[in-house]
Parts: sequence; C-alpha cells; structure tokens
Amino acid sequence: MSASPPPPSLPRSLPAPIDVTKTHVVREFKSGDVPLTTCRIDPTGQFVVAGAEDFTIYRWSLDSLEPTKTELHGHNSWVRSFDFSPDGKWLYSGGYDDRIGIWPLQEPRPSPARMLVAHDGWVRWIRTSPDGRLLASCGNDNLLKVWDTETWKLVREFRGHERYPYAVVFHPDGKRLASFDLMGSLREWDLSTGKTTRQWEAKFMWGFDKKFRADMGGARDLQFSPDGKYLAVAGLTEVTNAFAGTHKPLVLLVEWKTGQFLRKFRGDTRGAAWGIRFHPDGFLVGSGAPSGALWFWKPDSDKAFHKLPLSGGGRAIDLTPDGRQAAVAQIDRKLVIVQFTAKTS
Amino acid sequence: MKRDQGCHQTDHDVSRRAFLATGAAAGMLGLTAPATAQVLKKKQKRVLQLYLQGGVSQLESWDPKPGTKHGGPFRAIPTSVPGMHISELLPHTAQRMHLLSVVRSINLKTNSHHDGRLFMEMGRRSGEFPYVGSVASRYLTPENAPLPGYLHITTRGLTDNTNAFLDARHAQMKLAGPQVPNNLVRPDSLTADAARRSSDLLKRLNTRFSGRGGRKAFTDSYNASFEMAEKLMARRDLFEGDASPKDLARYGKHPFGRNCILAKTLLENGATVVKVTHHGYDTHAENFNFHLEQLGEFDKTFCMLLDDLHVSGMLDSTLVMIMSEFGRTPKINVRYGRDHWGTAWSIALGGQGLVPGAIIGATNKEGTAVSKREVDGGHLFHTYFQALGLDSSSNHELGGRVVPIGDPAKTPIKELLA
Repeated sequence: MSASPPPPSLPRSLPAPIDVTKTHVVREFKSGDVPLTTCRIDPTGQFVVAGAEDFTIYRWSLDSLEPTKTELHGHNSWVRSFDFSPDGKWLYSGGYDDRIGIWPLQEPRPSPARMLVAHDGWVRWIRTSPDGRLLASCGNDNLLKVWDTETWKLVREFRGHERYPYAVVFHPDGKRLASFDLMGSLREWDLSTGKTTRQWEAKFMWGFDKKFRADMGGARDLQFSPDGKYLAVAGLTEVTNAFAGTHKPLVLLVEWKTGQFLRKFRGDTRGAAWGIRFHPDGFLVGSGAPSGALWFWKPDSDKAFHKLPLSGGGRAIDLTPDGRQAAVAQIDRKLVIVQFTAKTS
Repeated sequence: MKRDQGCHQTDHDVSRRAFLATGAAAGMLGLTAPATAQVLKKKQKRVLQLYLQGGVSQLESWDPKPGTKHGGPFRAIPTSVPGMHISELLPHTAQRMHLLSVVRSINLKTNSHHDGRLFMEMGRRSGEFPYVGSVASRYLTPENAPLPGYLHITTRGLTDNTNAFLDARHAQMKLAGPQVPNNLVRPDSLTADAARRSSDLLKRLNTRFSGRGGRKAFTDSYNASFEMAEKLMARRDLFEGDASPKDLARYGKHPFGRNCILAKTLLENGATVVKVTHHGYDTHAENFNFHLEQLGEFDKTFCMLLDDLHVSGMLDSTLVMIMSEFGRTPKINVRYGRDHWGTAWSIALGGQGLVPGAIIGATNKEGTAVSKREVDGGHLFHTYFQALGLDSSSNHELGGRVVPIGDPAKTPIKELLA
C-alpha cells in the first residue's frame, strides 16, 4: 500500500479580503512642485505613471519598497491621458501639445520613441484597443482618430462631434468606440465604417452659464465594464456658476445593449467626478476633485455606500491588476496608493 | 500670493436706471442730418475699446510663461514682430502684432472687479472721474457728429457712471447688439409732426424747470438722452438688415462677431468712441478650457476688425485698446482656475499716436511680479490721451471749476508715443 501524498502546504497567512469600508492609504509618492493631472497603472502592475502641471511624466515602481521615481520628458504641455500596450512594454501619453508620446516603459530612463502630432489642438484622451493593435484618440479638432500601433499610421477619422470630445474608449468587443463631448453628447461608433451608430444626449452632464455665456460639461473619465455590459461616464452636473466651478460630481452608468441610463451616481461634495473604475468584486469606485474623495457605489443604488476622504482632490484613479489597490493622482502633488482591505501588520 | 477668489454680485448687476434711461430716451423721435462719413474719416480721431470683461489672463494672452511653475498648458508662439511671443491662443493676432504694442507691467494694486475697472477707465484709483470713453467723447466728438459720442456694445450691463461731471451727452450709450435698439421706431399712432411738437414741448418745460431753480443736471441729462436717441434714430439704417455674408464669414456669426461688425459700421459712420465688451473671462474654474473658447472667439474676430480699420486707413486715426479690469493669478487653483490678479498683468494697444510693435515693461520669470517699468491705470490714461493729441495734463473747464484731465501724479508712457 503506497503512502498518500502529503497535503499541500498552506500559506502562512491569507491576504486580507477586500473590504472597501476599510480602505486606507498604504503609500504616497511625491511628484514635483505642482499638482498632478492624471495617472495609470500598467497592465503588469509594475509601474504607476502620472502627469503633472510641469509637463513631466512621473513613473514610480510599485514592486519595490523604495519609491523609485523616474522623470519622463518629451511633452511641452500637460498630459491628461495615458494608456499602455497590453503587455505593458509601451506607454502612450496624450498631451495638450497636440501630440501622443510613445515610450518604452520598461527602460531605466525612458525617452520617447516617437512624439506623434495627432490633433490640431489638445489631445484630450487616448485608449488602446483590447488587442493592442490600435490606439484611439480625441482632440480639440473635434475628431476621433484611430492609429495603428505598429506603424503609427492613421487608420480612420471619426467626424460628428460638434464640440470638444473629452474622452473616447474601445468597447471590449474591439469593434466599437464610445465617446463623450463637452455638451453631454454620447456616441457609439462602428470602427469599420467610421459612422455613428447610436447617440444619446446626457444634457444633465452639461450646463450653460447664462451670465457668462459659456458651456461646462464633458467626461473626465470614460470606462467600460470588462464584460462590455456597462459604460461609466465620470463628470459633473447641476452647473450653476461655471466660472466659479459651482457644480456637483456625477457618474452616469449606461447599460450598453439597451442604451438605458441606469444610474446617476452622485458625490456629496462640490466639483466633478474625475475618475471611475469597475472593480472585479462588482462595485464602482470614483475619485472627485477639488474636494478630495473616493466614492464607492453598487449598481443597485445612486447613493455611495462608502466614502473615503483624500488629502487632496483626486483627478484620476486606476486599479492594480489584482484589484486590491488603486492609485489616485491628487491636486496636492501626491500620488497615493490606497488598499481596499483592512490594515495588516 | 494674496488673491481674491470671489466676485461680488454688485460687480455683475445691470444698471436698471441706465437701462431704463437708454430705453426710454430711444423712444423719442427726431431727425438730424448726418455729416458725411468721408469727411469724418479723414479728420476725426476715434477710440475702439475691446473690453475683455472679467479679467483676461495675461499668461494666456500677452505675457505667456510656458514651462514655468504657473505657466499653464499653452505654448508661446512667435509674432510678426521679431522676438515678441504671445500665447498660442491668439494665432491671428500674432500675425498682426506689428500693428499693436504690449504693456506687460501693469500693477493696479487691487484685485476687485469694481476698483480695477474704475482705475483702468478713469485713470484714478478712486473718486468720481469720467471714463476714457467719456473724455474722448467730450474732446473728440465734432459738434455736428451724426452719432452719440460714446457707444458701448455689450450683452450685459454693468453699473457705470461713465461721464461723472462731464455733460450727459458724453455718457456711454449702451447697445445690446446689432439689432435695432428698443423703442427706436415711432409708434404708428404718433405722427411725425406730433412727435416733433412733443419733443419741443419737453425741451421748453425742461428750460422752464431749470429757470425756476430745478436741478439743471436732471434736465441736461434728459435732454442729452433725447438728443442721443434722436441721432440713433436718424441712423436707424445702421441697425437694419443683417450683416453681409462676407462680413459674417470673416467675423463670425456669433454675438461677438456681429457686435464687431456693428463697431466697424459705427466707426465708419462717424462714431467717436466704440467700446465692445466680450464677456466671460472671470475664470475661477476651468481657466484653460474657457480661455480656449473665449480667446478662440475673440482672436479672429478682433483681427478682422483690425484689418478693416487698417485697410481703410482708419487705424492711423483710431486708438485701439484691448483691456480688462485686471489679469489673473499666476497660481493655478484646485479647480484649474486662475483668480483675480491686478499685480502684474498686460494689455495691448495700437493705432493713433502709438509706436507699433513695442513691448513695454516685463514681469519676473514666473509672472508673479512686475520686474521692469511698472505702470498703472494713471499712466495708461495719460498715454491714451497723449496718443490722441490731447494734453492730458491740462484741465477740464467746468464753469469756473477746473479738474485735471489725467492724474497729475502720473505721466504718460513716453516710449509708447509715436
């Protein structure tokens, strides 16, 4: 009779379970002397990058205990949007200098492999396609553009927005795009034809200031759920004085198949929602500014079930690949890492 | 940096009295033969004020500091003047800077909309003095001028007593835009003869009222209002019909474009002072998005107006000023805004009596302070009138009382005078 195999060894301690009510700051990275504009975590979870009002891109290593900061120079204006190749080898940056930067992210001191003049005016947003072969951008020329990430040739232009498109994102099926503009116009585009296939007007995310004769609105973040069933639009609502920034944060949740506006998640401060992410555990987490806060919502209620105050306004949020942590780019010059668990010793 | 983050409601209130006075006055009738525009064009000196209400950012216009701590996202671009750079938000203006000059060293020592506006208009920090437009109207408007001396095209009202102690004929007359002013048309029920008799009766009553000890200022003010309305009514044609398709294509179909087309028309037809207010620069939030929009609208439209004055030969006799009540803080606030900042900011000006292509003064590296040739509203006021050929160190003669035209403690910016 042969002996039975030994039982598998148990880990000394299991990781703490996700409990957003216990969310806390675990790391802080200091950039330079100016506020941050945005941030992203690369798909491998090795690096976090942030844009800043001094035109610099800051990169920190997340897998080292020491905060190793690297500065990336190439843009001569602010960077408001990042994305990566799916393997994490390339960083893409969209700048207010009309250009998209293409950076070898893994290099010790990355310099741009290319600075692509992409739009006539600010590049407001960029997003990589699910297979990584394409990059979508939108800019102040009111155009969406899709680029081949191998050759960096323009694949297609998408015309239709009459005011600035603030953000564009690929649907997870890779065949469609969604975009959102200053006036609250949400569009679905067919990637193969370049045509708008559906259009909605989310006018509650736009306001016209009659006194100053100015429009205020637009998406500060745009994100599909990984299964493609939902789209979340982070922005603002109830504009009463555009020039004083008197408005409230709002995240719109859209059921993509039906086009129904399912939820209007609200923040409980003044300002705007600047970041939104779908967490694998089924909730959404958003960041707000200028009053710094993280809000946690469930899809069945407009009201946040938890809020975490931040030391500075959160202009962007992104999750680590395992969903246990998030990076937040703050106005007080800090890049903070929060963990959605109780504190561990 | 100390800054004022808020605006007070009174800064934006419409002057109900001024509004009603203008509207009521425009209801009267009369005919005045217009002088020929061609003669006026040759002899008359004029003022064109472009007022960027709320405080345009100097960093997003005339004094960009790209790449500095507070420089913001916009770049500087070269202009038609070698070595001079302005913000990329003004690409059309950049190509015409050889017609304009920039003063980059204004320190008003106030961050208040109200106080800044008065200082920039009166040339004095305090007191009741006439605005630039009223003084220019008083000394430059011919006796037989076909239009009121000081016309202000604005879509919003601000509480302004522009003429102070000068005759009410030199108060600004507000126009809401290119449409025919309200109540300018004589009602059908009132014959022309009856209207004339009514007007004559009113004047006689006013004269009698003054003769019996009534306050002359009241009757003068009413008479002046009727007189200005009569002039406008005689030139009702200036407001009728749409602008030409060519002008609309060049200037833009938006309200500011149409207002600038009207400004050109008024100047071509004998107006002495035309002020056009472009609203929307009080950008405590989203300063960069709003300047992108506002200056995007201003830039080409203003340049079309400048071109038309230049091509017609009128620019040589027209003082052009692009001004605000102050600039905006170098420091960018948490709402991506810039707040009120009268400490170190800029204007642009050109035309009649001025050296073109000059840069007067400078600010420090981060734009937080004037570093060279500090000036204020008093210096600018003298400069405007010296450029117009008026001795601003002389006095207003007010029936036995004299008041210095410009602040005696200030002098013109001589290096800016042609």
